[in-house]
Amino acid sequence: MLNVDLFINGLIIGLFYALMAVGLTLVFGILKVVNFAHGEFYMVGAYTYTLAAFKLGFDPWLALPLALAAGAAAGWLTERALMRPLYAGYSSWGLMRDEYAVVVTFALSLLLINLVDKVVGPYPQRGPALLDIPRMALGPIMLSGQKLVATGVSLATIAGLALFLRYSFWGRQIRAVAQNRLGASLAGIDTTRASSLVFALSGALAALSGALLAPIINASPDVGAFPAIKSYVIVVLGGMGSMPGSIAASLALGVLESFGAVYISYDYRDTFGLAILMLVLIFRPQGLFGERGREV
Amino acid sequence: MDSSARRMAVEFRLSLGLLALIALAPLAIDNPYWQGVLIVSMYFALLAAAWNLLAGYTGQFSMAPACFAMIGAYTTGLLAYQWKIAPSLGIPASILAAGAIGAILGLIVLRLRGPYLALTTLSFAEIMRLAIGNSYGFTRGDLGLNVPGLLESRLAWYYVFVAVLAAAQGALYLLLRSRAGLFLQAIRDDEVAAASRGVDVVLWKTVAFTLSTALSGLAGALYAHFSQLVSPELGLISQTGLVICMVVIGGIGSLVGPLAGALLVYVSSEMLREVGGIQLIVFALLVILIARFFREGLWGLARRLLRKAAA
Amino acid sequence: MNTLSRHWRLALAAAAGLSIAAHAADPIKIGISIAQSPPGSVVQGTQVKDGLEIIKDHVNKAGGVLGRTIELVYEDNQGVPEKGRAATEKLITRDKVVAVTGGHQSSVCLAEIEVAKRYNVPYVNTNCWSDDVRKKEYPQVFNPGNYNSRVGLAMAETIAAMGVKRVIAFVENTDYGIGQAKAVAEALKQKAPNVEYKYETLDRAGKDFTPAVLPLRADPPDMILTMLLPPAAYIVMNQLYEQGVAPSAKTWLYDGAGIADYPDFWQNVKEAGKYMLEFGLYHPQMKTPKLGLEVAKTYQQRTKNEPNRLIFQAADSLLLIVDAIKQAKGTDPNALIKALETMKFEGVRGEFRFSKEPGYKFHQWVDIPYVNFQLTEVNQPVSKSLLVQAPGIPLAVGKLQKPVK
Repeated sequence: MLNVDLFINGLIIGLFYALMAVGLTLVFGILKVVNFAHGEFYMVGAYTYTLAAFKLGFDPWLALPLALAAGAAAGWLTERALMRPLYAGYSSWGLMRDEYAVVVTFALSLLLINLVDKVVGPYPQRGPALLDIPRMALGPIMLSGQKLVATGVSLATIAGLALFLRYSFWGRQIRAVAQNRLGASLAGIDTTRASSLVFALSGALAALSGALLAPIINASPDVGAFPAIKSYVIVVLGGMGSMPGSIAASLALGVLESFGAVYISYDYRDTFGLAILMLVLIFRPQGLFGERGREV
Repeated sequence: MDSSARRMAVEFRLSLGLLALIALAPLAIDNPYWQGVLIVSMYFALLAAAWNLLAGYTGQFSMAPACFAMIGAYTTGLLAYQWKIAPSLGIPASILAAGAIGAILGLIVLRLRGPYLALTTLSFAEIMRLAIGNSYGFTRGDLGLNVPGLLESRLAWYYVFVAVLAAAQGALYLLLRSRAGLFLQAIRDDEVAAASRGVDVVLWKTVAFTLSTALSGLAGALYAHFSQLVSPELGLISQTGLVICMVVIGGIGSLVGPLAGALLVYVSSEMLREVGGIQLIVFALLVILIARFFREGLWGLARRLLRKAAA
Repeated sequence: MNTLSRHWRLALAAAAGLSIAAHAADPIKIGISIAQSPPGSVVQGTQVKDGLEIIKDHVNKAGGVLGRTIELVYEDNQGVPEKGRAATEKLITRDKVVAVTGGHQSSVCLAEIEVAKRYNVPYVNTNCWSDDVRKKEYPQVFNPGNYNSRVGLAMAETIAAMGVKRVIAFVENTDYGIGQAKAVAEALKQKAPNVEYKYETLDRAGKDFTPAVLPLRADPPDMILTMLLPPAAYIVMNQLYEQGVAPSAKTWLYDGAGIADYPDFWQNVKEAGKYMLEFGLYHPQMKTPKLGLEVAKTYQQRTKNEPNRLIFQAADSLLLIVDAIKQAKGTDPNALIKALETMKFEGVRGEFRFSKEPGYKFHQWVDIPYVNFQLTEVNQPVSKSLLVQAPGIPLAVGKLQKPVK
């Protein structure tokens, strides 16, 4: 049945979106900035996975954690080198800290894309499948082995992340800093450490999704543009900084695009999310689940 | 306040000097290819100046300058392609269309700042680009639209761009030197304080948006008739990125920074292209370093050195 | 006095001799605008380049043209019309090439021929299939390659012979894709008016086409046509296969873009390519002239791949320019254009003259040979595929196979 197909496929795609976007949500919760190089963390993961498997001969299941580590490193480095001025107070941008973040992460994105393009080459590369079955039936739907594995890993990761944030020591610290940075530091929390951790985490999650999708959406220098835009939409729709919000928003977006592409317009399916982003920012800035205001 | 007015005057005179150099350049460079390169860098200089007005002087970091150039290009392009309307009407139409749409967008994003403004304008830009790209029945979409030319000789185009750029610089100078300019900068520095002092924030933010997008539309329209081909490529986010790079490298919030930045970045990117495509890497690095350590860009650096030399 | 003037005369003669020699050593520059990075089809660009290089070496080894060597100047147009325009301008104004060739993506060609016309430089269209390139009837443009109307007719004949009722085409949103879809529609009206045919355009930069594929699972057509280039082509094929839509017991898969012979075809589609029908312009079992066989052998030595039509079309493009220079005894553009218009050309694929008929036949090799074949095993090279039509072999659809499930 077509609608069942569309619904389940929409949920699967939504799950992938969630993995891409949840890191950006965390970053926004903690630092109140949108990282315009987030898509490039995804790209780093896709390339690390693909190249480790093909050039270095890693088994795909080993290349996966390698991609995770690469993403974490990229995230940590970005925070350390570029994000400190946002809260350590030593920037020449003074009052325009938000704009600084926009410009610097945008330039970072440009740098990473062109660096990879130059060093690795512009040709798309197809990552190796973790489960090399081109198609299998799963109840009413058909999917490839890779999609099945990617779905499973995404579910596990997101569940693990939720548990981490809720119950672990560092998870609670992160949530405290997200709620109130000044208060958290007064309470003795190392806010800088928390920020580093979150950025590294966001890099790792984006990289993981890049690696999982590399066999489906081939790795290329500009592959990050697509997950980036989806992530922005989801972060805004879900309420900037709310993790349950972004997961709900991801699933909703996946299903909406799936049905919209067939029943409304295939050509414009990418604009649904963008239009929603604009409408939300204009009319309901706190998104579906968020709490705070949008003005300075 | 006195010194900043003086500084603006110095910047303006410098930019006129740069323009004079550009105007004289064809005496030394008669290769049409390199003249073409300079023309395209002047196109970018117009976009850079427009974005600088909005971001550098009014504090609104829009991600849509390339989008409005695309709107301008398509307005005159479609008028010519579908209804055979001459560029003498098409170009003013582009200015009006871009300005009007810009005014509406400006009103929509009035309450937004920082990343929210960036995200909203980015979405707008992407939606416009996708809309134009998908309507291939009307716009020929990604295939590109052939636009009739306007002038026969490349040199004539060259001087048209120089003239328009000079006029734009002059207009910007007059605007920023006036009370309106003070209002804009007050809004940039602290919007709440400006409002409490009686500045009509709504009006001036919208004016800045309108002027910026109208200028971008003009640049796009001129480029359309010069290159005789418009495609949604004009509105890509990476094109906006290039404009932002140019302004930040040159020196954001100054009158001469965008002009110098545009020339430097585009001309050297064409020259570096021979060396093997590392130009964007270099520029992105430059932007990061400048943004991180030295916000005033190359112009700021030059000023510091000059001051040291004068001392 | 006498000795001085004699010295002077000797010196002058020496200087003149040197300058003539220096001038004669100037290579003849030919501009090549191809895609070497995305979103262009890099695979196509590389194959065009390979074919050009083979002929360039062949010509230069034989002493060049008019005593001068051939130099190819490359520009990357990235498959984008705007960049193609800029690339062609650069080649003509900065590098002063005598002709431009290599074009292999229709939307880019359409932008580039405008530049060629503006500067009156001969433009040899290597592989742009859109009829519009011909219909403009620019005197500078010559088309030794395939054209959409030809494919339209060929595919319509096959469809008619196979007796299918419902056909859906997935085409890329470019001049080539949409042009070919329309050409097939036109031809079907003549050859098989009862066939229900519609086409859907897909974004060539798209990454996921499941929304377009899923509705077909519920209601599969008899045949799916594909008119896309890689990488989108490979993604579409994989997703059609993943969802069990085509090739299947119910639905044929018939490709009109000729991708089965691309070097990276099998590694990208694997199982999904088995049973695919292919419209092609080259099959190793076709009769090929001696020069063509040499080019094929050289290509195989250099790249370890079987050659395909892109190699031959590129080779012919360069050979045409070289022959035109020989005939015109120089590189004057008008003389070159005249030579190209009137000469009888013997290339690597056969011999032909450019037609002067208006419309899509203008400056075109009208009777380009083509083939229809089917891939029957995974990783099957084209030489072992099932040939069902070729020049001299009438269409025999009874031989075509379908998967069992």
